[in-house]
Amino acid sequence: MTSSKKFIYGLGICFGLPWLIMIIIPALKAQKLMPLPYDKDRDGVEGIYPGAGIYRQGQLVYAREGCSQCHTQMIRPSFAGMMDATKKGWSSDQSEIPSEPARSSNMRDYLGEPIAFLGVQRTGPDLANAGYRLKDKAAMHVHLYAPRAVSEWSIMPGFRHLYVTQVIQGNGSPDALDLPKEYAPKKGFEIVPSLEANELVNYISSLKKDAPLPGQVVAEAKK
Amino acid sequence: METTDTTDTDGESLRRVEIDRSVKGPVLFLFANSAMWLLASTVMGLFASVKLFAPNFLDYDCLWFLNYARLQPAHMNALIYGWAMQVGLGVAIWLLARRSGRPLSSGAGMMVTAGVFWNIGVTLGIIGIFGGGSTSLQWLEFPAFVWPVLVMAFLIIAIRMVQHYMSSSASNGFTLTSHYVLAALFCFPWIYITVNLLLNHYALQAPLGAFGAGINAWYVNTLILLFFAPLGLGACYYFIPKITGQPVYSYQLAQLGFWCLIGLAGWTGMQKYMGGPLPAWMPAIGGMVSLLLLVPAGVVALNHHLTTYGKHALIESSPTLRFVFVGSFSFLVMSALGALLGTFWTGASMQFTYAEYGFHLIAIYGFFSMTMFGAVYYIVPRLAGCEWLSARLIRNHFWFSVYGIAALVVCMVIGGMAQGQSVNNPENWNQSMVGSVKNASGYLIGRALAWAFILFSNFWFFIHLVFMVLGLGRRSVSPTLLHHAHADHHAPSSTATV
Repeated sequence: MTSSKKFIYGLGICFGLPWLIMIIIPALKAQKLMPLPYDKDRDGVEGIYPGAGIYRQGQLVYAREGCSQCHTQMIRPSFAGMMDATKKGWSSDQSEIPSEPARSSNMRDYLGEPIAFLGVQRTGPDLANAGYRLKDKAAMHVHLYAPRAVSEWSIMPGFRHLYVTQVIQGNGSPDALDLPKEYAPKKGFEIVPSLEANELVNYISSLKKDAPLPGQVVAEAKK
Repeated sequence: METTDTTDTDGESLRRVEIDRSVKGPVLFLFANSAMWLLASTVMGLFASVKLFAPNFLDYDCLWFLNYARLQPAHMNALIYGWAMQVGLGVAIWLLARRSGRPLSSGAGMMVTAGVFWNIGVTLGIIGIFGGGSTSLQWLEFPAFVWPVLVMAFLIIAIRMVQHYMSSSASNGFTLTSHYVLAALFCFPWIYITVNLLLNHYALQAPLGAFGAGINAWYVNTLILLFFAPLGLGACYYFIPKITGQPVYSYQLAQLGFWCLIGLAGWTGMQKYMGGPLPAWMPAIGGMVSLLLLVPAGVVALNHHLTTYGKHALIESSPTLRFVFVGSFSFLVMSALGALLGTFWTGASMQFTYAEYGFHLIAIYGFFSMTMFGAVYYIVPRLAGCEWLSARLIRNHFWFSVYGIAALVVCMVIGGMAQGQSVNNPENWNQSMVGSVKNASGYLIGRALAWAFILFSNFWFFIHLVFMVLGLGRRSVSPTLLHHAHADHHAPSSTATV
């Protein structure tokens, strides 16, 4: 065997092994992951976990706008000083002082998503359980249109291009944004969400990755 | 005057000139275009950085596409595919042609055509990101139709050069530079085709869920460690011995470093999502291997240090050695930073922060680009037939780049830690992000200033390179050195061997 052939085989084996073990086999095995049923007697609820899928049309807008540059969608467990689980509003429990920490994310939470947007950076808050937190869609539209109208320290870009400014006709659109004065349009005009903005908001409200695990969390909570 | 090769005859230097001439077209084409993309990427990086502390900057309705979420991926993709990969291809062509010891008989025109298509691909990709076609996959944001164009262009160039190299007789035995370069050319298409097929096509039919994000993280790390690292180190192993006139200190050590890097790099990447939904063994392996990668990094650094030992004065005078030296040092810093990001001990407060951006920038700019600048300063005069116009411009380029990238990385790592500390501080349990945004904002001003420095340095680099490519350089037999007092000590161009 010539040395150049040896070299090519060496390369192929050195890189082929991790390629196969880290990427190809897990990618094929990821297909075998199935939803788990709840047991009425054990868990106290019926149905399957994970329940509702994600809102794909809105996820496409989420991808297009690059939201994952600053927003993650994963809750880390509480160790090594990581505090995701006890952040206010980051779990399904939206009360002032949550009794239970948020459950850390697992593979099944993302079942059915072509690619989960776990996120590039966490410049803004985590969105894994944003659906529990952001219930008011009108308020979410205002946040997307003018982030600094909601919190003045925010560095989130405004997504004004997803909104349409139009002349008020009759009583005006029921969807028109209720903006503070400095962001409001000229008199006689109103701002309404476009189709994309609505899809995006529907997607964000569908993000609920804190469903109880069959046989685990619910059983513990009952104790 | 010292030469590396005492048998350097007129015949050999004529042959070198012939080799250089045979690859002149594609190499200069790729260099000139990559410098343009570097400039574009730097401008976008500056704008994106300013928007992070002054979100109303350029926030006009007519510039709706310039919001941070599109600017940042466009900036990174222009830096990676427009600049780094393109200049890397140019350097790879030249290195393989030189190592083969034979002029390229045919295919230069085809490689220029491939280069044109590469640039068309990158342009379409950047327009796609701004226009709303982004896939939101880190470093793969280009719309899905772009990747076949890039792969085809890459393969045309890579296959032609590998063919040329393999068919020449000089290629037997373990030659460090060519093996590093061949490894890079071999691994990139494999990685890139795999991830694109899986993420852009397979995932739509058969959802990958959280594992898709893991593949994406794997891509980012393997691109750094299996394309940029071998290509950059290959250039280091070529230029350091060549300019110092000393053979590589230890071939055994170098061989060990090479196989360590190639054998380990494929396992890294998933540690980005440690503590996340991926099966725990994946981030665990990634974190462990990112620590083990300190071994090849140390080996390379030791070898380069011992090769340069006693010749450090040359760093003063030779622009190439100066850039390559900084690049090779940055490789060590990059590996250390990668190890810090990979373990829970330090990574818990650096995960998902600006520290990761700092790591990417030390890899792509601090290590790879600095090495490539060194290579460009060496190669272009030989291809264009004229010398660099001004030592002052080279010095400016060097110092502004070094200060810029050092400030950038320091700001991003410390700022990232401040950001992560704030997110992980139990006292901040009821106010999710305000502390982290405020903690990091000072460092973000530093980041913007650093990009302004780098923009200044690269603007002059671009102008200087355009003059050279157009053949408007200095007509002289002596190369442009940074300190003329040392000119008698050593002259890089006269020591050139194949």
